[in-house]
Amino acid sequence: MKNDIHLHFRQNQFTTLKLLFYLTLSIIFLVLDNNYAISNKVRFNTSYIIEPIYTISAWPSSIYNNISKHFDSKKDLIKKNELLEKKIIIQSGIIQKIPSLQKENKRLKELLNSSTTTNSLKILIAELIKVNLSPFSNKLIINKGKENNLYLGQVAIDNLGLLGQVSEINKDFSVITLISDPGHALLAVNARTNKRIVVSGIGDNRKLKAIYIPLNEDVKQGDILITSGLDNIFPEGYLIGQITKVEKNLNQNFQDVDIVPSSSLSSNREVMLLW
Amino acid sequence: MVINNRIHFIATLFLILGVILNLLPMPAILHSCKPPILLLILIYWSLAFPNHINLSYAFLLGIIMDILLIMPLGYNALCYTVTIYLILLYYPQIRLQSNWNKMLSLLVILIPYFFMSTIVNGMLKIEYNIINVIISIIISVLIWPRLFNVLRFVRQKYIS
Repeated sequence: MKNDIHLHFRQNQFTTLKLLFYLTLSIIFLVLDNNYAISNKVRFNTSYIIEPIYTISAWPSSIYNNISKHFDSKKDLIKKNELLEKKIIIQSGIIQKIPSLQKENKRLKELLNSSTTTNSLKILIAELIKVNLSPFSNKLIINKGKENNLYLGQVAIDNLGLLGQVSEINKDFSVITLISDPGHALLAVNARTNKRIVVSGIGDNRKLKAIYIPLNEDVKQGDILITSGLDNIFPEGYLIGQITKVEKNLNQNFQDVDIVPSSSLSSNREVMLLW
Repeated sequence: MVINNRIHFIATLFLILGVILNLLPMPAILHSCKPPILLLILIYWSLAFPNHINLSYAFLLGIIMDILLIMPLGYNALCYTVTIYLILLYYPQIRLQSNWNKMLSLLVILIPYFFMSTIVNGMLKIEYNIINVIISIIISVLIWPRLFNVLRFVRQKYIS
């Protein structure tokens, strides 16, 4: 019994030492990662282990999807098919006008002596790997990696609007930082007034914030914001969202403006990557 | 020796399960306030075998979670190590408590964990919602007795 107490005491001493050792080690890691981004390198070199873990954790949702697909009745499928075909017909009808509009746009821009931006359209559809990341980060993981020639800062959109940019590329998967990430900001343009607005994320997938808008600036509820193309990352003209709340407080220097993102930041399944 | 190996084997198996459970996709409402399920499993095993499942496990698992969750390297390692240290200090008392008291002591142990993560969040300028953190603590306290019973059943069946 005596021996036991002695051992317990000794072990405790060791644990305190161990605690101090591990604490310093993790703080060193934190500092190194903050300055040199070593976790990216670690993830790149171990991606052949990480990818299977992601795949296993995404199994339940993919199995559920497969089962629900399996039990879709034939009638429903036919109905869906008809609806989709109708949608395609309407959209291709709209697309017909694009070449002529582009030409006209180019001609007008030449008349105005402004630089013409020719956006080449190459789109890669990537699928999300559905895993539950930390609640503090607004990031997505997609199943395309280095082999698909992605590059850092590449733009990701979905069918409704802008999603974010590629922030990390590994062998079989990459990470997209959403525009709702607190560390992310981009330069938008108000489609109604052509004024520039800085849109920043606040960590909430259903809300963005427009920052540094002076009190006398003309913004209204319902204004639509699109990308400006001035930040050299996001090409011009993609939809970001709609202003839902404008609050002027004369005691503050700037207006309080909320934006609802048009893309479904939290619940999409396919992501389009632009070149 | 054989029993030692078995403890490490079973605990590692459940910790891997915990890693996968932590990564499992959840509905959007739960996403922002999910309980740290891996930490709960780790707490159980270090309560049961404090001489085997110790700070090294906590640190390693923390690093693995940082890599998997795309967080700053060392974030979870720091928080897990501190929590398991508290368990190693107080496991003789916690073991003897009733279920209700265990919930309470888990609350007492999780609060430093979240406090720690708030400090690191503040230093790294990660924004978060305090209400989600509180809900996450409440959920983990509520599921703790069930998890405890399941893991105890496993322990009594395979390690004894």
